[in-house]
Amino acid sequence: MREKMEKALRKSDAEYTEIRIENVTCSWASFRGEELDSIGSSRTLGGIVRALVKGGWGYATFNDIGDLESRVREACESARIVGKEESRFAEVEPVVDEIRAPLEKDFREISLSEKKSVIEEYNKIILSYHDRIETSNVVYGDSFRKVWYANSGGTYIEDERPDVGVAISATGREGDNVQRGFESVAGSAGFQVIEGLQEKAEAAARHAVDLLSAPPVTGGKYTVIINPRLAGVFAHEAFGHLSESDFVYENERMKELMVLGKRLGSDILNIIDDGSIAGLRGTHKYDDEGVKTRKNYLIKDGILVGRLHSRETAAKMGEQPTGNARAIGYQHRPIVRMTNTYVDKGDATFEDMIKDVKLGVYAIDMVGGQTSMEMFTFSAAYGYMVRDGKIAELVRDVVLTGNVFETLMHIDMIGNTVEWPPAGGGCGKGGQSPLPVGLGGPCVRIQNVVVGGRQQ
Amino acid sequence: MIVNRLIEKAMQKAQGAQAALGQSESTNVSFEDDKLKSAGVAQSTGMSVKVVVDGKTGSSNTTDIDDVDGVVARALEAAAFGSPAHFEFPGPQEGPDVEVYDDAVLPVTKEEMVRIGEEMMALVKAYRADILVSAGVGKSVSKAQFANSAGMEYTTETTSFGVGVNGQWVRGTDILLAGHGFGWKKRDIDHGAIARKTIELLKMAENIAPIKSGAMPVIFTPEGVNVLLLALRLGFNGKNVFLGSSPLAGKLGEKIADEAFSVTDNPLLDYANSSGKYDSEGVPHQVTPLIERGVARNFLYDLDTAGRAGATSTGNGVGCKPTNLVIKEGDTPYEEMVKNTKEGLLVHNVLGLGQGNPISGEFSVNVQLGYKIDKGEIVGRVKDVMLAGNTYEALKNIAAIGDKAEWAGGSLLTPPIQIAMLSVVAK
Repeated sequence: MREKMEKALRKSDAEYTEIRIENVTCSWASFRGEELDSIGSSRTLGGIVRALVKGGWGYATFNDIGDLESRVREACESARIVGKEESRFAEVEPVVDEIRAPLEKDFREISLSEKKSVIEEYNKIILSYHDRIETSNVVYGDSFRKVWYANSGGTYIEDERPDVGVAISATGREGDNVQRGFESVAGSAGFQVIEGLQEKAEAAARHAVDLLSAPPVTGGKYTVIINPRLAGVFAHEAFGHLSESDFVYENERMKELMVLGKRLGSDILNIIDDGSIAGLRGTHKYDDEGVKTRKNYLIKDGILVGRLHSRETAAKMGEQPTGNARAIGYQHRPIVRMTNTYVDKGDATFEDMIKDVKLGVYAIDMVGGQTSMEMFTFSAAYGYMVRDGKIAELVRDVVLTGNVFETLMHIDMIGNTVEWPPAGGGCGKGGQSPLPVGLGGPCVRIQNVVVGGRQQ
Repeated sequence: MIVNRLIEKAMQKAQGAQAALGQSESTNVSFEDDKLKSAGVAQSTGMSVKVVVDGKTGSSNTTDIDDVDGVVARALEAAAFGSPAHFEFPGPQEGPDVEVYDDAVLPVTKEEMVRIGEEMMALVKAYRADILVSAGVGKSVSKAQFANSAGMEYTTETTSFGVGVNGQWVRGTDILLAGHGFGWKKRDIDHGAIARKTIELLKMAENIAPIKSGAMPVIFTPEGVNVLLLALRLGFNGKNVFLGSSPLAGKLGEKIADEAFSVTDNPLLDYANSSGKYDSEGVPHQVTPLIERGVARNFLYDLDTAGRAGATSTGNGVGCKPTNLVIKEGDTPYEEMVKNTKEGLLVHNVLGLGQGNPISGEFSVNVQLGYKIDKGEIVGRVKDVMLAGNTYEALKNIAAIGDKAEWAGGSLLTPPIQIAMLSVVAK
């Protein structure tokens, strides 16, 4: 493959050219209610050529990898239509590397029937949990992505990117009241990741049933404590997207707003993106431009100290590439993305955080989050009211919203242990979704958070 | 045809089979931060096969259209312990006529697409030079083949064309994002009108209007109507109904919305995004009323779910999802709706839709682009506001429906809708 790719690259008359080819094998199985809903497999072979001419990008994506040279010519031709200025693209040391994924239990060697029987057990646990369980949805999916990457700077990388996960959903119903409990586990690893999740299945069922009798949270402003999984979503949604330099690099006003050295949060706040932590879903040795991933401090002691870059945004802002150019697959160009994002640990215990809260919300786990850069929202799977320093009743429909420039300043306590819950799902941006990311953190306490919901 | 070879191969071991092949080529140009950024061509091919063996189904797909034997073998492997089949593959049927191909799409050059983007950008820049503009123009041409073992067979060729333009206006820590786009199967799009709509959305947002928490009337623009439709998309899904997770299960014939509210699933609108003669299981498309004058009428089914539920496929395979939704026009001009609102909210776009428990009808979303209405006038954009309610309660509480339906994207045709009272939480 290397020879074929390098031969095609030599046909390019662009200033920079890269080829990424991917061979992806996937399998899936899912239950809805008592019956198996779907089972199958897929094989995908495809590639993308990207070329840079006078600051303009041209690309070609394809499934037929037989004629790479023509695809290179097409990408160059498109780039010439676009380019009108000087190209700026950060140089990096060329690397030649071959990465093998440590899988332990290789899911490609496991039969579809075994994959099915593992989730069948989880499905039975849900359906037999309680007579208020109306239905279930348990989905298994795996993909093994082999990536060949070569660019005109001399870099050649072969990478293996496994991803395996199970999403477990239980639906409880009482009359018109329909509630859902949800758990997911995923990892960039082998089949062992999704074995032994009986407790998760039971937890999903329990939440679905318990939420039937939980009241919706009353909308208003609260002191909110978010658990580690939500803290990761918070780091990602509330702030992380704003640190992606493609929002900033050609935008003078955003540059002023996001100038390094500016105070954005309270001084106990540290937010980090690190694509090099072993075993997490957002981890790769190199990004999709051949740049080594690394630990990037975004906020240190409340001060904006860094941001995430592609080679183009780094060059245009006079900063170093950070290894954050990522693409979800061969049909997409790499754009600036987070890897594993977390709030770093502080020194508070959970007890410290709740003991002086008169009325607050302890928000747990997430079902989603979204941002428009300045404003963000994320939804907890469920929550508990905190009353007079004690955990009180279960509440549902807990949606938190805020404005990044205010909310980060309102963080007043941070827990003392970082956790990386192995959740599934992923991030969406620029039509590329879902991209596996890691989300982590300790418990975090935030003052004056708007919690959506109906007012009484 | 390749699909016939797939069927032939599969039927050596299977009792039923279905195969599809798709090929497409799309061209896109995109503008970012006020300038042309990229252009490119995406070619894709793929085929899939679904088999029934001893009453069980399995499926497989691949991008390698030469791998007929491999893809069939993997589908057969899956079927060995697959999901029970509750259907029979449909025989030959002629689907209704609907336009899905426009000759004018193919000849559009990259240069012409660049010009369209530049014109849209220039219009927005002329409104305010300090708004940073991004835009995109795209076209595609696709071919598909379908066959099953019961003799149903079709080929189809479709086109699509789309444009969009967005503005970003940063003032201090205030970041305003607003834009408009439209895409369908036809070349005919007035890109100037798309840019003017973006300008209108930005203009109305020039001022930031304070708003107090409380219950108030809320007008959803055609795009905003999506907030109300999510629960219906899930609730009318026949699979959710059969499994009991839809709150509409058992409610056909019951009044679930205001009398003025009717919504139809319509895959037969010429050039709409989800239009076509047949669904992906070879079942002819049909128009299915979901709610007629407030009364729940039909659920959407694919072949297998219909078989389980004792219903008939409505041509919504696979997945029982709606195609294009059409909401019936009411009798209130939009201007009048705004004028008659003493204090309220106009909602265009939200953040966080679908998080939480959407099938129950509950929504709790951040108003990403919305406007305050004060004494019958739009006075500015609202910020840091959550809107919460329940779709099913809201639909019984409709204050007015606009007298003119508009496209919101290429698969929703709806007038604006005003809900009498919804809960708004401001900071």
